Amino acid sequence: MSEGYQYILEAEHVSKKFGSLEVLKDINLKLKKGEVICIIGPSGAGKSTFLRSLNQLEKITSGKIYIKDELFLHREKDHTVEKLSKEKQQALLLEMGMVFQRFNLFPHKTVLQNIMEAPILVRKEDKNEVEARARKLLESVGLSDKADEYPSRLSGGQQQRVAIARALAMNPEIMLFDEPTSALDPELVGDVLNVMKELADEGMTMICVTHEMGFAREVADRVLFMADGVIAEEGTPEQIFEHPQVERTQSFLKSVL
Amino acid sequence: MKIFENKKVRVTIIVVALILILLTILAIFKPSESALIDSLSPETRQMIEADANSTRKRVTVTYNDMLAINYLSVSSSGASTVSERRVGFCGGIYNADEGAAKIVGQMVNYTYRMLGCGENWMHGAKLTILLTTITVFVGVILGTFLALGKVSKIKILSSFCSGYIFFFRGTPLLIQLFVIYFTIPGVFGFAWKNIFSAGDMEAVYKGAFLAALITFSLNSGAYCAEIVRAAIQSIDKGQAEAAKALGMSYSQTMSRIIIPQSVRRMIPPVCNEFIMILKDASLVFAISLMDITTISKNIMTSEGSYLVFIPALIIYLIITAVFTYIFDKIEKKFSVYE
Repeated sequence: MSEGYQYILEAEHVSKKFGSLEVLKDINLKLKKGEVICIIGPSGAGKSTFLRSLNQLEKITSGKIYIKDELFLHREKDHTVEKLSKEKQQALLLEMGMVFQRFNLFPHKTVLQNIMEAPILVRKEDKNEVEARARKLLESVGLSDKADEYPSRLSGGQQQRVAIARALAMNPEIMLFDEPTSALDPELVGDVLNVMKELADEGMTMICVTHEMGFAREVADRVLFMADGVIAEEGTPEQIFEHPQVERTQSFLKSVL
Repeated sequence: MKIFENKKVRVTIIVVALILILLTILAIFKPSESALIDSLSPETRQMIEADANSTRKRVTVTYNDMLAINYLSVSSSGASTVSERRVGFCGGIYNADEGAAKIVGQMVNYTYRMLGCGENWMHGAKLTILLTTITVFVGVILGTFLALGKVSKIKILSSFCSGYIFFFRGTPLLIQLFVIYFTIPGVFGFAWKNIFSAGDMEAVYKGAFLAALITFSLNSGAYCAEIVRAAIQSIDKGQAEAAKALGMSYSQTMSRIIIPQSVRRMIPPVCNEFIMILKDASLVFAISLMDITTISKNIMTSEGSYLVFIPALIIYLIITAVFTYIFDKIEKKFSVYE
């Protein structure tokens, strides 16, 4: 498959205001295929808002977002400037899979149904094919024996792994992780991080908002430090964790490490 | 046995047992009509024969000289006789015209008539249950659409639904019933009974039933809309976000994710609504439908029996108990995933 694009995801001058409160101030990000980015920073810095802006769970005030060099969203002053056709918008949206802090599995469906729902409903795929793929995904996250359980019977870590499998079932090119381990008991964090590591090793493009500094240091190609709605510092894990340049980063790392 | 320690199980067993006993009594003491008439005094027999030829029957005839009290009930509705039934019970067996046996005989007789035994579905408890069940069914469906309309982003739709809900919750059900039964046919020049064939003896009642059904459903839709809206809005926002992130459209999210989850939360308030309608259904006495309330009131006026309302209350209670039990079962069934 030829890759006729330079950046798989590009955010240009993304700003977001809640009333008079500026949550995101002119954020720029360029992401190449296969890159893993971790966003760290204090709470209230706008990390989650930025991530949620990328797949339009939050409506940005202004800015442009490109997926595979194609315009996905262009807004100025709270209005969409260039409207895309529904099919185009949908197709670009489906390039991104999202994993939430609180899992958000569908409680009235079994694990298998959770994974199969969207591919059948949205992509109109064949049921048998989807089921085979769903079972394979469950196996890869180590939960093949839980296929017919309801989410409420699973631990938080297991639920999060199902949520990852659910997002992967749509075959996205980019995975967005919104603090995937923050709602988990400490001893369950490892399983989820392992799944994410495997995913990174397989070459998935990933953006992770995380508080797991160890994970960021080990897996990330680039680490973004966000504070007060701006990217305060950006660099390789080594640069950020060993030789932080900005004072804000230094004090943050001092308090968490 | 452990199962009998559960309070709900015990109440259910008692209710079922009571109904069984009642039905057994009704089944056993149902003497033939000719046997009843044969046992009457000559004067009474004469009265009945005179009655049989008159165009307008007395609603109910109580003959105090009879061995059995309330031997005979000739039920008639309005100008035309719908049916003529002779009901005889315990009185004959106890051979009593006073005391406890008389009261027992009366009560069984009244219950029998208020339940609508031996009559078609236009009578007594059958009418009440039928009306209530269809109303709740239509009301929930209508309410779902109204609720979706009310939370919709389309301004005209949402203000129409809000206005609808405001109107039907803000006016008395009885007047709504009058408007639909009297005003609307008056303005548009039709009659409810003409909807049914002219030869139909019960066209008037069927027409009234239809009018009542429409009124109650429209009214219930407004209340159910608020129930559905509350249930939909109680579902965690993350559910809609997850669905959106997976590319589902608004209607797919609603029909596959949000509404199935809110159904379980709707069951207790819908049960409540059901019980409310069950009792509101007694308002149909105002348009001469023969429901439990109308029959009990007729018995009161024609026979002067002030005790008739006690079996009426018990019948309502039993219906409520049975349906509460059914709703409990449904709720359990929908709770498997929690």
